[in-house]
Amino acid sequence: MHKIIFAGIVLMVLFTSCTKEIDINLNNASPQIVIEGHITNEAGPYSVKISKTVNFSEPNNYPPVSSASVVISDNTGIVDTLTETSPGLYKTSVLSGIPGRTYSLNVKVEGKNFNAISTLPQVVNLDSLAFELFTSSGNSAENSYLTLPVFTDPDSIGNAYQFIQTVNGKLDKTIFVLNDNTFNGLKNDQLLFNPDAEIKSGDTVSVEFRCIDQSTYAYFYTLSQINDGPFSITPTNPPNNITGSLALGIFTAHTVQKISQVVK
Amino acid sequence: MNMNTKTIVTSIMLLFSATQIFAQSKYTISGTVSEKKNGETVIGASVYVKDNRSASVITHAYGFYSITLPEGKYQLIFTMVGYQNDTIEISLKANLQLNRPLTEKPKELSEVIIKSKKANDNLLKPQIGVEKLNVASIAKLPVIFGEKDILKTAQLLPGIKSAGEGNSGFFVRGGAADQNLILLDEAPVYNASHLLGFFSTFNSDALKDVTIIKGNSPAQYGGRLSSVMDVKMKDGNNKNFNVTGGIGLISSRVSVESPFAKEKGSFIVSGRRTYADLFLKLSEDNKENSMYFYDLNAKINYRINNKNRIFISGYLGRDVLALGKSFGVEWGNKTATVRWNSVINPKLFSNTSFIYSDYNYKMNFGTSSSETRMNSEIQDFNLKEELQFYLNSKNTLKLGFNSIRHKITPTRISGQNTSAPEKKGRLSLENAVFINNTWQATEKFTLDYGLRLSAYTILGGDTYNIYNNGVLMDSVVLASGKFGKTYLNVEPRIQFNYLLNEVSSIKGGYARNTQHLHLLSNSTSSSPTDQWIGDSYNIKPEISDQFSLGYSRNFRDNSYQTGVEIYYKTMKNQIDYKDGADINTVPDIESELLYGKGRAFGAEFLIKKLQGKLTGWIGYTLSKTERKINGINNNNWYNAKQDRTHDISVVGVYQLTPKWSISGVFVYGTGSAVTYPSGKYEVNGQTTFYYSERNGYRMPAYHRMDIGATYTKKKRNNRESSWNFSLYNVYGRENAYTISFADSETDPTKTVATQTSLFRWVPSVTYNFKF
Repeated sequence: MHKIIFAGIVLMVLFTSCTKEIDINLNNASPQIVIEGHITNEAGPYSVKISKTVNFSEPNNYPPVSSASVVISDNTGIVDTLTETSPGLYKTSVLSGIPGRTYSLNVKVEGKNFNAISTLPQVVNLDSLAFELFTSSGNSAENSYLTLPVFTDPDSIGNAYQFIQTVNGKLDKTIFVLNDNTFNGLKNDQLLFNPDAEIKSGDTVSVEFRCIDQSTYAYFYTLSQINDGPFSITPTNPPNNITGSLALGIFTAHTVQKISQVVK
Repeated sequence: MNMNTKTIVTSIMLLFSATQIFAQSKYTISGTVSEKKNGETVIGASVYVKDNRSASVITHAYGFYSITLPEGKYQLIFTMVGYQNDTIEISLKANLQLNRPLTEKPKELSEVIIKSKKANDNLLKPQIGVEKLNVASIAKLPVIFGEKDILKTAQLLPGIKSAGEGNSGFFVRGGAADQNLILLDEAPVYNASHLLGFFSTFNSDALKDVTIIKGNSPAQYGGRLSSVMDVKMKDGNNKNFNVTGGIGLISSRVSVESPFAKEKGSFIVSGRRTYADLFLKLSEDNKENSMYFYDLNAKINYRINNKNRIFISGYLGRDVLALGKSFGVEWGNKTATVRWNSVINPKLFSNTSFIYSDYNYKMNFGTSSSETRMNSEIQDFNLKEELQFYLNSKNTLKLGFNSIRHKITPTRISGQNTSAPEKKGRLSLENAVFINNTWQATEKFTLDYGLRLSAYTILGGDTYNIYNNGVLMDSVVLASGKFGKTYLNVEPRIQFNYLLNEVSSIKGGYARNTQHLHLLSNSTSSSPTDQWIGDSYNIKPEISDQFSLGYSRNFRDNSYQTGVEIYYKTMKNQIDYKDGADINTVPDIESELLYGKGRAFGAEFLIKKLQGKLTGWIGYTLSKTERKINGINNNNWYNAKQDRTHDISVVGVYQLTPKWSISGVFVYGTGSAVTYPSGKYEVNGQTTFYYSERNGYRMPAYHRMDIGATYTKKKRNNRESSWNFSLYNVYGRENAYTISFADSETDPTKTVATQTSLFRWVPSVTYNFKF
């Protein structure tokens, strides 16, 4: 996280920079399988999406991968074979997301076999949102704020969290993840740091709060470290929990809680 | 001692004392060469006997020389480019102490950018891959923000590459930024940049000169793989009180120098502060942001008697950046050096140094009710002894030891809402002994050879984990006061110079270097928050072997110097973070590391013009640097981020009139090796990129031209002043600072590449004064 803060400081304070769109001739790569599956503590059905990568220059339409065999089972013996409800989108029918249970995904498609395991963490309650003054100027209407998710981490080490922030209905694309290595059992004091969020008084901020497992944390943490700034890590495909054949994406069991608040 | 060891010791003794026996009685002339005007010692001046080429020595880092000759009458000549030759007749009948002041040549004649002791010194010195820059001589080059900077000028020499705009550090012969040993009066400087690399920590007003050794360093240097940048501070004027300074657009500096005991002692104090933050405060947007740095250099020297002299020097620098109310970071170096020079006898010179060095950063972030702090520190206590023994006219022996105690505090987080146990500082000892001999075998052939033995010992006080592929295998609990693992490395160094004729020479060398401290960085640019780590049970010393070969030829009575050098270097035990490394919160950073090797090769071409109205140089480097790390890029070789195929620099200063000079710099470099996406997909409803190879792409080529003009006012009543005007990036090239990939703002159904560039046309003006 500190690198990002640092990059934020550098870019905001130091530079009068100019940006422009450029053409870069990027190599094409053979399409790769992408698997994304979510199991949550909300009511099902849950879905697994299978698609393929496209080249950078193509539009953001990702070819769905149909006719896959997709099975999710949990550690109590429930086995759910998913049905393809629309091309590339597979849905569960009997499974329910229960905190503490471990879910195993098996996908067979195009002669390849993919496996992934994720455990649905116990629910941690997000109490509320607080807004911390970030930058102020003479005019208080111009003050900008950063969101502080108010919650207390449970005593045991190993909790991890993801936050998806929406400001006035607009998704903040910044990836926010946190683990409890440094604040185990304590109140959170890490802000959702995005200097460009420009949250002002009167705005409505919604946060989707997810308790995630370690592999999901590692996946999104890596993505969060690849950014526009000079202190980005060397870009890489994030390590994921899909084993067997190589695939991109993540299979994640997580809790979901949403809070919406007006900045005062 | 068994027989075997005895034989080895005897052979080494013989090797290092290729002494010839003369029947005739011989005497030694020794002393110090200094500048007449201010008493600064002159480093690298030549002292030789007229009509006897082989009887010649060069003053060393403290201006000391020693030359031994048979009884007789001689004409002894002292020369240094930029100074008038000094000839003295002596009748040698006993050992003689001879201190000589040299007078500077009138300005117009001394406009050389790289001063050298003799016009053909490049041919005579045995060292390969060495560059020397004199601070006074770079004053007329154009610079960004009007701040002359020796570190920036050094990056215009072949083989030394800037890490890029807004990027601290520099790369020497394919080495990473942390593989350069940067010394300020012998004290290592762990982060030599201010404001993320736009300025260096070196305030030129306080400096005397800089020597850069590109890998083939003599045995007295060690601890880094790629280079030694040896920066020497001024001793302080011991004749007159004077004040020098400069007022620029974003920073100002002032230095005071004065003698305090007639001819015996003098001091210099020099300070610098940026005030760009004051402008920032004027703009509404940036009212609460701050950004500044300051630094302070001080040095005092005292000549106890003719044989003993003491120097105490110190440096303190700090950068402060803050954004809004809740985020701030500051970092800086502190160094202190106490040195004792002693002429034990006319042939034996001793330098004993006690050195302290510290680098730390602090960052704070958090909320109005609780603050989280993050910090890291590296602190050294260092004792160094170097004896220089002028055995005879053909052999100069250097031997000594260096013992450093490091304390490294890893990045740690603290604050009210922090649960992690505070990480402990780790102690270690880095010891080295060295011996080096310069043997002038014949008038044409010089051999410089030596051996350095380095030992790095982990000291107790912490628990060291042992990992295999990131999985904890074992732990070593080292109690405080206990000695842990020791890494012992033998580093042979050898280089030769063969003078083909009056105008050309061949040089070659081999050197092994080891490095026990490593800077961990996972980003494309180095940042002040990158942390240092020492050898451990997982991290082994980095080892490099470099071979180099060079040919130099001078033209037109030495007014043009040309040279080409080629090198090949291999590097072992290189370190990188694994993909997805959690560098901030993980309890032990060593679980996140991967290891591998590197290789680099290249050719460097340099043409210098040293005399006349137009002086300057053209440098060109063709090179390749690769890495192979287990666990990165499918274990295949990939271009290191410092790989730069072509690198060109053109530097020129033209003396228009006695008052006006103009200057220009042009640089061109292949873009850095970077990783770009090969495809894209969607996760969590957001476009995500697919990468197929590490550093498989290039940033657009970097090029830029700067121009400058200097107006020097006539000297009146001992007052001097000058105006320096610079324009950075004359033709407004938009050099890529970063290139990012994202959904288009205007059309979210497609993705675009966006280039961010920093500076176009940065004009600056600086007023420099001296009285």
